[in-house]
Amino acid sequence: MALVPHPHISEDDYLHCIRCGQCLAVCPTYRLTLNETDSPRARVALLRAVREGLLERPTDRTAAQFFRCLLCGACTFTCPSGVTVDRVLELTRGEMAELGLLPQPLVALNQRIRESHNISAEPPESRLLWAQNLPAPPTGLGKAQAEVVYFVGCVGALFPRSYGIPQSFVQILEGAGVDYALLGAEEWCCGYPLAINGDLEGAREMMRHNLEAVRATGARTLVTTCPSCFHFWKHAYPAALEEDLGLEVRHATEFLADLLEAGRVPLRDDLPEQVVTYHDPCDLGRKSGVFDAPRRILRAIPGVTLVEMAENQGGSHCCGGGGNLESMDPALSQGIAARRIRQAAETGAQVVVSACQQCERTLFNAARAERLRLRVKDIAEIVLEAMRR
Amino acid sequence: MSEHAWIDRLREVLGPAKVLTNIEDRIAYSYDGTFAQQLPDVAVLPESTEEVAAVVRIAAEYRVPVVPRGMASGLAAASVPFSGGIALSLTRMNRILELDEVNRTVWVEAGIITADLQAYVEARGLFYPPDPSSNKHSTIGGNIACNAGGPRCLKYGVTGDYVMGLTVVLPDGRVLRTGGKAIKNVVGYDLTSLFVGSEGTLGVITEALLKLIAKPQHVRTALAEFPSLDDASRTVNAILAAGVVPATLELMDETAIACIEEAMHLGLPLDVEAMLIIETDGSDDEAVRREMEVVERVCRENGARKVTVAQDEKERAQLWRARRSVSPSLARKAPNKLGEDITVPRSAIPEAIRRIKEISARHGLPIVVFGHAGDGNLHPNILFDKRDPAQWEKVEVMAGEIFGVALDLGGTLSGEHGVGVLKRPYMERALGPVSIDVQRRIKEALDPLNILNPGKVLP
Repeated sequence: MALVPHPHISEDDYLHCIRCGQCLAVCPTYRLTLNETDSPRARVALLRAVREGLLERPTDRTAAQFFRCLLCGACTFTCPSGVTVDRVLELTRGEMAELGLLPQPLVALNQRIRESHNISAEPPESRLLWAQNLPAPPTGLGKAQAEVVYFVGCVGALFPRSYGIPQSFVQILEGAGVDYALLGAEEWCCGYPLAINGDLEGAREMMRHNLEAVRATGARTLVTTCPSCFHFWKHAYPAALEEDLGLEVRHATEFLADLLEAGRVPLRDDLPEQVVTYHDPCDLGRKSGVFDAPRRILRAIPGVTLVEMAENQGGSHCCGGGGNLESMDPALSQGIAARRIRQAAETGAQVVVSACQQCERTLFNAARAERLRLRVKDIAEIVLEAMRR
Repeated sequence: MSEHAWIDRLREVLGPAKVLTNIEDRIAYSYDGTFAQQLPDVAVLPESTEEVAAVVRIAAEYRVPVVPRGMASGLAAASVPFSGGIALSLTRMNRILELDEVNRTVWVEAGIITADLQAYVEARGLFYPPDPSSNKHSTIGGNIACNAGGPRCLKYGVTGDYVMGLTVVLPDGRVLRTGGKAIKNVVGYDLTSLFVGSEGTLGVITEALLKLIAKPQHVRTALAEFPSLDDASRTVNAILAAGVVPATLELMDETAIACIEEAMHLGLPLDVEAMLIIETDGSDDEAVRREMEVVERVCRENGARKVTVAQDEKERAQLWRARRSVSPSLARKAPNKLGEDITVPRSAIPEAIRRIKEISARHGLPIVVFGHAGDGNLHPNILFDKRDPAQWEKVEVMAGEIFGVALDLGGTLSGEHGVGVLKRPYMERALGPVSIDVQRRIKEALDPLNILNPGKVLP
């Protein structure tokens, strides 16, 4: 559950941390630096020290420790005492921001989003560049009314190397005859990056705008290829806006699994054999409980043998791209990605599939940096390749 | 420039990145798996025996306390730096230096996570049996320094039984190597054993040579329900008397069962006084199966109401779920717990549990009892809220009384957690003045400046 609306941290949030240390074993930052300071247990202890006066005046350095975290939730998943560490850290980030201690790279990110309504300060019309080199313009473009809204998300829409994800997804939707609309320039950042950077009001502004834009289409279903948008729409929107969205919020993998099982996406029977491993995005798996749908899709594709990494599903290891850590400490983020891609390589798979543009990007870069002969794809891409057209 | 010349010296020797002096870092190195906390002046992250030796030499020169630390999951506050000084973390010394498959040994740095080492050797058909429940978040060095145990110790022995040699940085900064690959070795005092369980008070363990065995290929698991605690306890001895040495023989009493059921809703019976989890293992499937048949029969003959034997890996995991849920269930029930670790002769288990329940009733705070029944090692956990001073006062009294129960019944204070500071006040009663005097002399001989983990273990 994300932090909106913003309850302040209560003692109960950290009191049950018994400092057993189990979270150290699963924390990607700790496992990389082997420095207790980078562990969930230390972050909770630091929060507690601030609250209880052991650390009287938090500084930029104090705040930085709360932002050197992926918010991947592995600690929360493993905590025997039920401390929701990632949620507590989201709240703590908010408090640090209120104290004026938001780290500079994140101040800049917040400002960009507030001004441009996307994470990379692009003009709104850039959100449709990805659609330009499709064989035909997407039918969902400029559609006023539709059953389904496809919410593309900033990275898919604005990062050229991620264009393949929305491009693949809309082609599948069209092949399956789905009545869908794109919001185009009217799609704003979902608000997630602002919320975890302490700008709750900014996040609410994004949410209100997006909800209105979706409602204007009359759609009953919102689908997104981005697990973070999905997690935020599904969990934070109703809580923050204090209303029933009147929408079914679905991730692309859930939507695709249903289309496949309903026979609406015919698959080729001349596909090559390939060994595939699936990387669970934190916001989709651990935080939203979607583990099966992507695996059902992959098993349905002829020729695919699905193998699991040692750390999978609830115990999955973050790709390194979570929690705005990339803006905060790129080297740390890359080190974590390298560790994950090596886990993928150990399975002997030829292809790593994820269901997140951020995971796909960080893992792709890691495979290159580690010189591993592993292809990295989004699940929409592998489904489109398999689709009979 | 820092305020202490010795911190500057540490920076010169290790480089500034491995010397942490910020308040945020000092907080991170101020605790272990208990509620105790004290800030060190500095935390250091050495990466070799030479760097550890350099740190200790500087500490000796400036008379600064050094507190060695693995992943700080200890339950006796042994790695909390109560005198300040240097928190010396060994977690970056986590390499496997050599696997000798012929002699079946592995030589590792102290900071390797025990489960990582186990996964490494098991992938090669070998086995390092000691299995403290913290094996995923504790280090070999910490396990050796506390002589950690675990459920498998009944059949396979404790950590110390697998340590063939050590590299230790002594309090004066010299490097001592003990033991070796020879199985028989009676030359001189057994210094390896001296450092096993020494809790960082005599030297800093930086490397270990460990004995490995062949990995058992087959395992069978049973869960037995006993309406009577006495019957469960008698069964433990009856199984051993029948010639079966189970790999594990775990007991949960009715307080533990109720606590787990409340938190996890696993469908456990609430009308029994005890449950036993029993596991047999070995290299011959037929033998393991036969042993389990004996276990099943002995359980029934001694009053078990129901014995469930897992038929596959999935069922096995299901049976273990109850036992593994004990700690999580406790943690959800109260903000604090004091997990004790007494051992008694096996025959005294029912009496020990009865007396512990009486202590709980008299003081009005819950005590949950579970443990490794096969070796008489019980974990009475007192549940409380440390924010309430009245409760905290009671807890201290109750802990003393629990230790009294163990000693009265011919047992001792700790089976596998160690002494640290929490059990220090009871040491003299447990060991007597002669033993304490001998141990003090050993400490003084090795650490005359008293810089290594001062204030721990010995009263």
